[in-house]
Amino acid sequence: MSKSTRNRAQQQRKNALTERHTPWGGIIFFTVIGLVAAVAVTFAYLSSRPPSTEIAGLVEKDGLADGHTTSPVQYDASPPMGGDHDPAWQSCDARVYDRPLRNENAVHSLEHGAVWITHRPDLHISQLAALSQRVKAVDYTMMSPYPDLDSPIVLTAWGRQLKVDDASDPRIGRFLQAFVKGPQTPEKGAPCNGGKETA
Amino acid sequence: MTGAAGTAPRGRRIAAVLAALAVAAAALLVLRPGGGVSGDSAEAGFARDMSTHHAQAVKMAFLVRDRSDDERVRTLTYDMIATQSAQIGMMTAWLDAWNVPHTDPRGPMRWMNGHGHGDASGTKAMPGMATPEQLRELEKADGRAAEIVFLRLMLTHHKAGVEMARAAQTRAEDEHVLRLARAMVRGQQAEIDLMQQMLTERTSPA
Repeated sequence: MSKSTRNRAQQQRKNALTERHTPWGGIIFFTVIGLVAAVAVTFAYLSSRPPSTEIAGLVEKDGLADGHTTSPVQYDASPPMGGDHDPAWQSCDARVYDRPLRNENAVHSLEHGAVWITHRPDLHISQLAALSQRVKAVDYTMMSPYPDLDSPIVLTAWGRQLKVDDASDPRIGRFLQAFVKGPQTPEKGAPCNGGKETA
Repeated sequence: MTGAAGTAPRGRRIAAVLAALAVAAAALLVLRPGGGVSGDSAEAGFARDMSTHHAQAVKMAFLVRDRSDDERVRTLTYDMIATQSAQIGMMTAWLDAWNVPHTDPRGPMRWMNGHGHGDASGTKAMPGMATPEQLRELEKADGRAAEIVFLRLMLTHHKAGVEMARAAQTRAEDEHVLRLARAMVRGQQAEIDLMQQMLTERTSPA
């Protein structure tokens, strides 16, 4: 650095002090940072919200037993939301069954992350068609009739249940999105195929 | 050194540069919070669909393993079962880490087919998947017949799998996804060559 350059720099600094520029650089700098921070925080908050909080009527149950047994099990929900179950899981690879399933096998599928869609045996054929179309498009789901259901359609995952009246209810899609292999799954990574194939 | 631009206050220029850097850094943060991936991304679609695809391969490998004594078939299928199950685990862990759904209720393959609007128009089959009838055919066969059914089905399955992995390589950006997709293309292509050879041995007249 030559002497003249340093002198010029000193002069500039003096000028900046005496001329009292409005500090636009600083104002823009901090405004932009502030805005960006606000957007980032909002975005992070919105994207971290679990999807399940938006499902009205969702029933949750925690602390369910998970032992294996070949004997019949008395469940306290209908359809059961979890509990002890048969060593064989019911195949739940986008499967539509036309007969009721054994609870003890179906509960094992829930443990593997499946959503079990049950319906009244007399559900209207158009409703059945809409439901089975959904099931066939989504792995880790299965569907079966269930006698004496207290709602036309019931969706069940491990520890989560939702009763709906109509196959076009938008909560069905949200339930699938939230709970197919969802965070409630006790045994993530376990298969849905290769299980019990018949009702 | 300062030249003609020396008339502009240096502080303002530095502030402008810093602001530009801050905007760039923040843009990165907003677009990928915590290095994350969105539920509609090619990364997530690939992880979901390839898990389903792999799961069926594992099942078919088990089926033929229960029906064949051939050492080469048993070694090949042991490799497939172990490798593809481990890869399902990797993809499952990614979806958890990205905090995105493990399923798309609108149906599979949207990440590859360019997101058709409206709803899923039913059940778009995933390429290369064996139908329930084909699986039953494999279940009923035994020994050499089962090996032939298996090799045919798995060749179709693997070829489609390689295509899906290639599509992921062109659509995804996540480094882990790209690495696994690359490994799948390599590994499955090698198995395709081997299976083609094994099938020829079993079907061409001696």
